Amino acid sequence: MLTFIVRRLLLAVPVLLGVVFVVMLTVDLLPGDAVTLMLGEHATKDAVAKLRDHLGLDKPFLVRYLEYVGRVVRGDLGRSIQQNRPVAAELADAWPATLQLTVAALVLAAVAGIVAGVASAVWPNSLFDALARLGSLFGLSMPIFWTGLVLIVVFSLWLNWLPVGGAGSLTHLILPSVTLALPSVAMIARMTRAAVLEVLREDYVRTARAKGVAEFGVLARHALRNAFIPILTLLGLQSGQLMGGAVLTETVFAWPGLGRLMVKAIFARDYILLQGAVLVFALVFVVINLLVDLSYGLLDPRIGRQG
Amino acid sequence: MRPTLRSRFLIGCLVLGLAAALVPAADAQKRGGTLTIVRPTDPVSLDPNLETTAPGAWVYFNMLEGLLTLDEKMQVKPALATAYEVMSPTKVRFKLRPGVKFHDGTPFNAAAVKFTFDRALRGTPPARWASLAGSLDGAEVVDDLTVDVVTKEPYGPILRTLAMYCMGMVSPTAVQKMGSDFSRAPVGTGPFKFVEWKTNTHVIIERNPDYWGDKALVDRVVFKVVPEEGARMIALQTGDADMVLFPSPAQLPALRKDSKFTVHETTGIRVVFAGFHAGLPPLDDVRVRQALLHAVDRKAILDNIMEGSAGPALGVLAPGVFGFKDMQLDRLYPFDRAKAKALLTQAGWAPGPDGIMVKGGQRLSLSWLAARGRYPKDGEITEAIQAMFKDVGVEAKVQVLEWAAVFQQVRGNPLNHHMFTLGWVTSNADADYSLYALFHSKQVPPAGWNTSRYANARVDTLVEQARRSLNQTEREKLYGEVQDIVGKEMVWIPVYTTKEIIASRASVKGFHIHPVEYNLTLSKTWIDK
Repeated sequence: MLTFIVRRLLLAVPVLLGVVFVVMLTVDLLPGDAVTLMLGEHATKDAVAKLRDHLGLDKPFLVRYLEYVGRVVRGDLGRSIQQNRPVAAELADAWPATLQLTVAALVLAAVAGIVAGVASAVWPNSLFDALARLGSLFGLSMPIFWTGLVLIVVFSLWLNWLPVGGAGSLTHLILPSVTLALPSVAMIARMTRAAVLEVLREDYVRTARAKGVAEFGVLARHALRNAFIPILTLLGLQSGQLMGGAVLTETVFAWPGLGRLMVKAIFARDYILLQGAVLVFALVFVVINLLVDLSYGLLDPRIGRQG
Repeated sequence: MRPTLRSRFLIGCLVLGLAAALVPAADAQKRGGTLTIVRPTDPVSLDPNLETTAPGAWVYFNMLEGLLTLDEKMQVKPALATAYEVMSPTKVRFKLRPGVKFHDGTPFNAAAVKFTFDRALRGTPPARWASLAGSLDGAEVVDDLTVDVVTKEPYGPILRTLAMYCMGMVSPTAVQKMGSDFSRAPVGTGPFKFVEWKTNTHVIIERNPDYWGDKALVDRVVFKVVPEEGARMIALQTGDADMVLFPSPAQLPALRKDSKFTVHETTGIRVVFAGFHAGLPPLDDVRVRQALLHAVDRKAILDNIMEGSAGPALGVLAPGVFGFKDMQLDRLYPFDRAKAKALLTQAGWAPGPDGIMVKGGQRLSLSWLAARGRYPKDGEITEAIQAMFKDVGVEAKVQVLEWAAVFQQVRGNPLNHHMFTLGWVTSNADADYSLYALFHSKQVPPAGWNTSRYANARVDTLVEQARRSLNQTEREKLYGEVQDIVGKEMVWIPVYTTKEIIASRASVKGFHIHPVEYNLTLSKTWIDK
């Protein structure tokens, strides 16, 4: 088990190196330059040259890449080009908000999605099933920024129940987390429905029913536990999706998280800040994938033995 | 010509701050309360050394004050200086306001002025605003309350430069104590002082009870970030916000009719234009350029595309800028397709088989670089002009790119496009800033912003002379002549002058919008609740 974890963590190193390489290369290939954008239309040639030199932007790409990696290894993420503030401090400011939002959305999505999915599977082709399937189609098709604005209009402008945006209290969290969760609820519900239906057709379920296990016990102990592996995989993938979706949700709801920080960094070509933010996202993704893989073993002992 | 203004007292030009205290209150002003302002983005920084764009300037302008300031009528007014005297073409002496203290208790004096300028101009890298400050070189302490501001060469725009929003004095003790943290919690002398900045959430400033002048009326101002335009407007409607910066233009007509809201607007200082590359044939022929000006119905663009959110362009400068002269564009270049075609015929162009003009086998086809969304409706006006050109037999091939990419190309040399859609703001509100950088023949990129490659020896002489003169009456005359010449040889189609527009709830009183977007003055604003 321990060797498995260590091996997976070591494998994450080339992944992160690659991510940084691709991000740096993309920013490098983009037209536009951080310094001229920062100094604006009126910057003198001299001022631009001085600042470029100060920031080390004139060095060749590979040199900058190696220098950056070297600094990150020593725990230094550098300073934001625009704000001249440690990237670590910027990330530390924004990270909790994104974590709060994604965790809330993930919990909402998992609970609502699994409940709806199981119910649909238990009573297939019922009215509930039809509504749930229609609802998931809707949830999957609506873009986040649209659902977000509609929710704001209904719950803030018309009903005046919830704040328009910003962060602070729990009431601030409701609209953005619901908005962010909706597409995932739909996805998880559909997946759960399919997985549970499939398991319910298995021989061991028939056996369990035959030996007189109550229907709830069949569902909880036999069906759901086995259906959970694909659902868990999806949850892992969805948590990545949610972080991506957070970029939009954070913009609509003025949520002060990493997504907004990244968008700002992209427009300013602040590649140091951008790399830091992407690194955090990539790292979280790697860790979540690892956790999902580990939990397979807990759910299905056969997987653990093979690994 | 050399300025001979040595020791000439110009104190009279500056009305002493006393006058402000004597103005009677218009209607019963109420004290207290919190003013909540929503705007699209968080500041880059609250230190003018690191931030010259609006999101930061809106906030720090209320905390940091310069020696001089520009009032809403674009007149230079005293702030931390009470009088000045031109000592030599490169030296202006300022008398400082006595008894002023920074928010941390440090006294404001000549040493603080010197410190602020040294920090900005001699730091590595230099302040972001150093590029805006022309040949400003620093300050020399004369005595505790007297300071000499020195320029590298005679610099006529010095007063308006010192009155810029980003020239605020900083507390030397605070800078030394706080180091790089100063940029997130600046300490100045202004009517408001810093309370808190939560990144991407809000910045809070509060009333400075020890302010030297008229004290602020509200207790606190909260600047919230709401990136989504729709959400900003909803916040204003629900009362979550008292004021919206950058309101949605589409909603302004409705807001103007609704007595619950006030729309504050004034003519800004940015001119948005379609520029010509006058060095690239066929636009090197002045008749072709003039024909293109006649081909464009500027009024139709204003009425149908800008829909009241912009004013007419009266020339290459905005009316609020010192040295502005109305170019009489409607008289010089009325919308007249027949005239346009006649000028093209004169220049040797004749209609080709597809209706596009031809000359010597060459079609009259222009390549055009534009961004979409950098300036209000820039993409739309580019398309409209493209269609108007077609009506006189001129083809425009428009290439729309993201702003950063457009910027890189127009700032580069050579420029391989005939036309470009740009906006130009006269940051220090002095004609020098624009007429020199845009039309002096030595200011071709990358040195300056003469993207049109305009070259006229007389204009070069005039803008140089005006820059070196400290006699403002003389300067105004020189700039007038420059605009007369440029007007005849137009290298732009000026399309509109921006309007500054802010929407607030009707309970917000005493707010005066400023032509310079950055100068958001909140000390006289109060809330009628």
